[in-house]
Amino acid sequence: MTTTQVPTPARTAQTPPVKRPKRQREGAAWVFLSPWVLGACLLTLLPMAVSLYLSFTDYDLFNSPNWVGLRNYTQMFTEDPRYWRSVGATLTYVVIAVPLQLGLALVVALALKNMKRGRAFYRSAFYAPSLLGASMSVALVWRALFNEGGTVDNLFGTGGWIFKPGWALVTVALLTVWQFGAPMVIFLAGLQQIPGELYEAAEVDGASGWRQFLSITVPMLSPVIFFNLVLQTIQAFQVFTPAFAVSGGKGGPADSTLFYTLYLYDRGFVASHMGYASAMAWVLLIVIGAVTAVLFRTSRSWVFYASDTEGGVR
Amino acid sequence: MTATATPTPGVRKPVAWRRIALHLGCLAALLVMLYPLAWLLATSLKPANEVIASLDLLPSHLEWSNYRTALDGVNDVSVWRLLTNSLLIAGGAVLGNVLSCSLAAYAFARLRFRFRGPLFAFMIATIMLPHHAVLIPQYIIFNQLGMVNTYWPLILPKFLATEAFFVFLIVQFMRGLPRELEEAARIDGCGPFRSFFLVILPLTRPALITTAIFTFIWTWNDFFTQLIYLFSPDKFTLTLALRSFVDASSTSAFGPMFAMSVIALLPIVLFFLAFQRFLVEGMANSGIKG
Amino acid sequence: MPGNRRRDRTRDRTCGSARDRTRDQARDRTRDETRGKARKPRRSRRAAVAAGLAVALCAALTACSGPDGSTSAGGKVVLRYTWWGNPDRAARTQAAVDLFEKKYPDVEVQTSFAGYDAYKQKLATQAAGGDAPDVMQLDYRMIDQYASGGVLLDLGTQQTVLKTGEFEPGLLATGKLNGKQYAVPQGRGTETVVYDPTQWKEAGLKPPADASAGGWTWDQWADAMRVLKEKTGKPGATDPGQSEDSFEVWLRGQGRSLYTKDHELGFTVDDLTRWWTFTDGLRREGVVSPAEQTTQLDGSVENTPLGRGKALSDMNWDAPASGYLALIPDGIALAPMPSGADGTPGQYFKPSMFMGVAADTGSPEQAARLIDFMLNDREAAAILGATRGIPVNESIREEIAPELKDFDKTIYAYQATLEGRLDTPPQAPPSGDSALQTTFQRDYDQVSYERMSPREAAQDYVTEAKAELRS
Repeated sequence: MTTTQVPTPARTAQTPPVKRPKRQREGAAWVFLSPWVLGACLLTLLPMAVSLYLSFTDYDLFNSPNWVGLRNYTQMFTEDPRYWRSVGATLTYVVIAVPLQLGLALVVALALKNMKRGRAFYRSAFYAPSLLGASMSVALVWRALFNEGGTVDNLFGTGGWIFKPGWALVTVALLTVWQFGAPMVIFLAGLQQIPGELYEAAEVDGASGWRQFLSITVPMLSPVIFFNLVLQTIQAFQVFTPAFAVSGGKGGPADSTLFYTLYLYDRGFVASHMGYASAMAWVLLIVIGAVTAVLFRTSRSWVFYASDTEGGVR
Repeated sequence: MTATATPTPGVRKPVAWRRIALHLGCLAALLVMLYPLAWLLATSLKPANEVIASLDLLPSHLEWSNYRTALDGVNDVSVWRLLTNSLLIAGGAVLGNVLSCSLAAYAFARLRFRFRGPLFAFMIATIMLPHHAVLIPQYIIFNQLGMVNTYWPLILPKFLATEAFFVFLIVQFMRGLPRELEEAARIDGCGPFRSFFLVILPLTRPALITTAIFTFIWTWNDFFTQLIYLFSPDKFTLTLALRSFVDASSTSAFGPMFAMSVIALLPIVLFFLAFQRFLVEGMANSGIKG
Repeated sequence: MPGNRRRDRTRDRTCGSARDRTRDQARDRTRDETRGKARKPRRSRRAAVAAGLAVALCAALTACSGPDGSTSAGGKVVLRYTWWGNPDRAARTQAAVDLFEKKYPDVEVQTSFAGYDAYKQKLATQAAGGDAPDVMQLDYRMIDQYASGGVLLDLGTQQTVLKTGEFEPGLLATGKLNGKQYAVPQGRGTETVVYDPTQWKEAGLKPPADASAGGWTWDQWADAMRVLKEKTGKPGATDPGQSEDSFEVWLRGQGRSLYTKDHELGFTVDDLTRWWTFTDGLRREGVVSPAEQTTQLDGSVENTPLGRGKALSDMNWDAPASGYLALIPDGIALAPMPSGADGTPGQYFKPSMFMGVAADTGSPEQAARLIDFMLNDREAAAILGATRGIPVNESIREEIAPELKDFDKTIYAYQATLEGRLDTPPQAPPSGDSALQTTFQRDYDQVSYERMSPREAAQDYVTEAKAELRS
């Protein structure tokens, strides 16, 4: 799988103040884990193993699979120009959507954090777009807004962005950014968890707002920032629903929003090349795994876990 | 960023200004954010020839029949039935995710056991495989278990913590809590179970509420899984029903589809409004004094 | 809240050894009961409520899970029957099924439906999972795939129950593969040029001649579009270059076909290049819709240039064309598809949808009886009307003709002008075609957005099509 490692919180746990038989606590851990283990084996590991097997076959949904070795993989890398177009579109999307969405979510969460009046109202209102998901009705609204003569065109004279190959991807990214509610709520929850005393103490020390942000908010929020970064990156690599809805499943115009999983779906369920689609899925898993591993590696230098130190801020 | 500043007696005036500016900024942002929503609402009242083609926000006249058609339900199945089905599935999913994900998260965040690193990596990896690739194997499993056309395939996975997103979310929150909390509890003689239920779980509440809210909304809107596993129309959900107004191969009813979208939106709005309150009562003011 | 937590901590101090814990909990419980209003105890009560909910949920779920599959329940044979369509078709189908259940009380039919795209994925998943419904509605493009994958039953084995004697032989043959009848057509449709007669009149154009008066050729069609563009400033039609269906009509007008009998490509790079050069030229002239409009097509009439008021005609199948009535207040009219230069008609009567039976159904006879009922029963036909196209059963077609209402009547009249003039339909396309249909659109997108020349795109398409047909 991946080389991802949990940053070892064992650092302090090495010397537990009260000694308990190790085996007993290990047993407790497995009790806590039992539902997950069952689900992972039955509903995750088994289907994953099947899809890995299928990626080496010519499975077409209807006939029993035949082993074809690495053919799906070589075909993908060498004979399928549309595959590379989908890779390009996906990478562009990740680079545009992730920073924009996370940045916006963080800024709004910070703005709402200490607001005394109206916070609940703003939070609900900013979250409202995220309630919709990327349904067909949202897609139709999006098309209307970004179409030629639509609101965006009238305001900024952009023309019909949504059907211009260079810009369609941006409109899909904007749809994701617009629904920044999930990371915002997670940021807010994380901000709630920061002990108020830290700010009080900083206040007494005369630290400025910016200083407090850098030395209290950022480190204390870093596990949550890290979570959002990892998850939004993974989700961006797998972007499917907004593009599927906006382009009606085609990834148009001219393949400009044919994102990786959209093409995977197209190969698997429209063209019935499930073997090929499975191979695509595993390549994506390896790529995302590598990216995530890098993120985890870097996290050691900037993510701060209260449980890893003797308490308080460094 | 300015929001982190707390007023001190000498500088009250600029802070008040800042606060007004903050509100104005937020309101301006909201105007942009909510415009597409207004469009959605307005479209649900547009007559058929304006639903797609019109580029004006407001309908030429209010077409209430869209709502009448939507409220009639689909194929003899009333809207109330569809609503109940949606609520049952989303409610079950919330319960399942909150329970199972917090249990697993506690083990990953606070307990020591063999293979913890590799297992955690595996859990994260399960989010990375596009779910279309495992759709068919999963379908076969549920078919073998005789669970197709029941709500089990939609709810059971949540009770088995298969949504690693939430496990990871809660893990991150739990790791943000100082370890002294449990150490103190342990000194008092609490085992892992009591520490979990009495010390850790209450402090993770923002994450649990977040899990509940997201699970509810995402399950509610999850068209594909519901489509695959539900067969009988009397088990259909609102999300499935609203799509059935649109069939590219015959005539579609986009107006009622928009009306149904608005109707389907109401329960999640209410759920969000009801539960987001609990996000406020976080731990910020209580302090964690170890 | 702070108080609450502090209390937690004090209580934590009361934790004894592991053995004492149970006693502690018991004591807590009594305490909870006595101090019902205090904040603390609510937590354990909430836990109890949650546990109770879980149990209730399980009970509810088990109660919900009814009989599945085609096993008999309470002595009844249970059939699952699925189709795609809109709520109107659903209501009519349900009414017909109810009638069937009344006539055959030993059979219970469980029905389900979805929109076309959703249906396609659902059915594929079910079939792959070995769980195909007993009776299913199928598209022309699905038959080869489902039949060769062993999903479909040879309906020839059920001839005694399922009568096809009154069906048009040419249409019936489209459901055959290797001499076996895997599916039977339900209705027929054909392509048409849908136009807005009011706007045409304003542009000074006479309505195109119907097929009985000779119809029109592709060149005459293109000229008419040019006049429309000149007089109204709007493109005359949707760019037909993106549509595999329109290409097929053009190809057949020249005596060729999309696929040969042995499932190979029936045309060359040159043929496709000529077609795309023709349509691309019209697009450059502004005579047909620009790329930005064409790419919005998703199968629904609402998203066609004609439906959006951006063009004056559209090539579409006749049944879905009824959707334009709600969009174009002045009404629409139907003209035949253009023919080859020598008048060879390219269009044909296509079975609009089929019914098939799962090979592993537990009750093939009852399944065949349901199909027979839906297609041959007079009362069912009266209920169903033309919801799945004009019926294939010829005597039923004549019988329901006077009963047809609104647009169904228009379609019936349109098809009547074509009767006897069209060639027999081709056999069901090979399984690779469902993928190629979207590939066709994608490759033409490259042409209309001027990223590839017609020849380059045609080469790409033919290469991919050959690979697709080989696999």
